Amino acid sequence: MTFGDGGKGEGKMGRDTLTKFKFFGVWQDRQEEAWLREMGKQGWHLSSLFPLVYTFTRGEPRDDVYRLDFIASGKDSESYLRLFRDAGWEHLGSLTGWQYFRKPYEAGEAAEIYTDAESKIQKYRRVRMRLAAVMPVLIVTVANPAFGRFSSIRVFVAAVLLLLVYSLVRVSLRIRQLKRL
Amino acid sequence: MSERVEARRYLPLTETTYYILLALVEPLHGYGVMQKVRELSGGEVEIGPGTLYGAFSTLRKQSLIHKVHEGDRRKVYALTPKGKQVLQAQIRRFERMARAGSKVINDLR
Repeated sequence: MTFGDGGKGEGKMGRDTLTKFKFFGVWQDRQEEAWLREMGKQGWHLSSLFPLVYTFTRGEPRDDVYRLDFIASGKDSESYLRLFRDAGWEHLGSLTGWQYFRKPYEAGEAAEIYTDAESKIQKYRRVRMRLAAVMPVLIVTVANPAFGRFSSIRVFVAAVLLLLVYSLVRVSLRIRQLKRL
Repeated sequence: MSERVEARRYLPLTETTYYILLALVEPLHGYGVMQKVRELSGGEVEIGPGTLYGAFSTLRKQSLIHKVHEGDRRKVYALTPKGKQVLQAQIRRFERMARAGSKVINDLR
């Protein structure tokens, strides 16, 4: 879902950046990758990352492949990033464990960072573990009697908790689908 | 004998694991493994960096490979003696599979 477009200069020349507000659930990483690729084909290249906010810089239209990885912790990240860079992937940044990579598309090349079902499953398992790890804090907060029954904090945390449970279900379904391959 | 039984616990290897172990009969860093696998498989098998990074960590935990050197942020890995036994056991299994297949197919003709 798109909340709205910001900053796009309608018909104005010389507009160099574009900010978009967009929500992708953790189970929608492939849709996010496809969307970023489409933006690149239109000459808008992802230049900075912030939760729900994507900033693009104008350039020549290019067919760049975007890939998102998820790693549980930052340990050993030097050799992790080196491996991706050696393989031709540009590291654009990270957001809550998600790593954004980009590579120009070349015909006949797979352009995948995960090349078998088992390692794709492992990636979604790491996502699932992270979601599960955040859950207890949210449950404790919702259950805390110190907050009024419909206090805004409680309602907000309950909404986040619902999204989290939904995300867990979707990620688990994705794992199950990959296991059938 | 006990070593052979031990090695068989890891079989069958996935295609990815098989080619990674095959590449690591000589010490290589990550990207070197990716290139070697492409070459060994005649371009049929490509291993992405995400898959390879995870495989390195798993194979290290299983003591099938070990880090022999680290420089310029690149880790160089090679097979351990156990890794070599597992690889050899897999190759013998492939040979038996291929022989069985050829025999059945030839008998049909």
